[in-house]
Amino acid sequence: MKPIMRKLIFIHKSLREEPIILILFLCASSSIIFISLMFGFLTMEGAQAFFTFGINFLIGRTWETNANLYGALPLIYGSLMVVSGALVIAVPLGVAAAIFIVEVLPFTFRDLVKSLIELLASIPSIIYGFIGLVFLAPQIASFFRIPSGTVALTASILLAMMSIPTIIGVSGEIISSVPKEYREAALALGATKLQTIKTVVIPVSKSGILASIMLGFGRAIGETVAVLMVAGNIAIIPEPPWNFLSPVYPITAVIAMQMGEAAVGSLEYSALFGLGLILFTITFIVNTLADVIVRRESKFKGGVKR
Amino acid sequence: MNHLKEKIFFAILGIPVLICLAAILWIILILSTGISTLRWELLTTSVLQGGIFEMVIGTLYLLIGAVGVATPIGVLAAIYLVEYSSKGRFARIIDQALNNMAGVPSIVVGLFGYTFFSRLLGLGISMAAGWLTLMLMILPIIVRGTEEALKMIPSSFKEAALALGASRWRAIHSVVLPAAAPGIITNILLGMARVAGETAAILFTSCVLVTRGLPKSPLEPVMALAFNLFVKITVLGESSERVFGIAIVLFLIVVSIAAAAIVLRIYYRRKQPWLR
Repeated sequence: MKPIMRKLIFIHKSLREEPIILILFLCASSSIIFISLMFGFLTMEGAQAFFTFGINFLIGRTWETNANLYGALPLIYGSLMVVSGALVIAVPLGVAAAIFIVEVLPFTFRDLVKSLIELLASIPSIIYGFIGLVFLAPQIASFFRIPSGTVALTASILLAMMSIPTIIGVSGEIISSVPKEYREAALALGATKLQTIKTVVIPVSKSGILASIMLGFGRAIGETVAVLMVAGNIAIIPEPPWNFLSPVYPITAVIAMQMGEAAVGSLEYSALFGLGLILFTITFIVNTLADVIVRRESKFKGGVKR
Repeated sequence: MNHLKEKIFFAILGIPVLICLAAILWIILILSTGISTLRWELLTTSVLQGGIFEMVIGTLYLLIGAVGVATPIGVLAAIYLVEYSSKGRFARIIDQALNNMAGVPSIVVGLFGYTFFSRLLGLGISMAAGWLTLMLMILPIIVRGTEEALKMIPSSFKEAALALGASRWRAIHSVVLPAAAPGIITNILLGMARVAGETAAILFTSCVLVTRGLPKSPLEPVMALAFNLFVKITVLGESSERVFGIAIVLFLIVVSIAAAAIVLRIYYRRKQPWLR
């Protein structure tokens, strides 16, 4: 808190010269205020569920609105399953594409391809959901000969499509920020372009790429509408647990589907906010970790470059 | 030999890029099968008569309101971070908070918007609650984008103004800000594209399926393309021509905003040499 106090005193002093600085300061602090408000309100509204079920809210295996029983394990598992499936598809493709765009693609095409991928990232999730439900799910159903195509696999494929642009964007930026001198040094020693990529570019940007994967994870686990439309929405842990052809019910889908009918102040209402708090916590941790990685990385690079 | 191996390897690396481009084509192809539903009357007739007029205007209302709230806060915050803050621990906390805000899932933002804006502040299910909720999603994008745009302006611009006797704020708002404006606008547009199709955040806070005409005040609920598409598909199980029409119109709105942002950015990068 101390630096904030010092800040306030500093601001008080400079106010006489430029009153505007107070407004600027308040706007800048708004992000801190909003993030704390979010945490506070989710905790407040979700507290009842945590008090009623204790640890069973996290590890209970039944989520039954009719029985007023709320154990979030199948939902947490569903979310993690769908997201990990998506990352298995999206990470290799995304990272390879990023390397290709930065290192191989001729300069004239680079802007064009980057712009197209940015456009892909801007397509709203409801459109992906629509396409997934109407076109992808029937394909999956007929390919695997299962009665319904709204299963974890469909959700994973759709999520992969949605997170590839994020992964390409962030890891592309990381890769192109590798100092030019590094590459030139390797090339001067007689390395081919491929060898330079393998022995210099990838090792140097490894942790940055890890950070981009974590950001992709955070994006994917919070995805709601598209996932909800194709995941099947049955609150079970698949049998066996790696059965991607089983329906699941990810956290985000539960919140979106049940919030409309939950009476304000009821246990169900509180349980949904509890789910929100779980999601908030997961993304908070993932984002903070990614931040730490990036910050340490840039410090390291700065140290080498002086 | 080595050369050939390298060529093959690079070709393999290029496949995912082709997949991405194919995905864009695939989406456009699917949507274009419904293009016959897209007639001008669809856009201009009221929902009560089978059109989607109120949804289109409602979506634009939501967008403009959210950007209107987020832009002043975001731009001023970025000015503080770039020009005034001492790069100490406080700036780092703000930085972290912004990153975390950008990462909060939209459905969680929606939950918060419902308890805070709709219930605690008493805005109810209304356009204003939707503006504020969407503002939470755009704010980090605008702050980040404005920061970047401000950092790209050479310090000589500001120094020249200061040397002429301008105060710091004067130098910023009359010299630095205009020079950075194209960059800032690009990012506002990108923020708009991000929330134009947003469904989860407005699910509980500002939308209803049908309204009688356009909302007359910010405290009334509003219709939106994304929300209607969502409810029609998941709850009502509808897959009529109108659903296709809504999807195509939403797609076109979002993609044209994003494309405008990208084109603007490329254009100004070429025009303003110091941005390179």
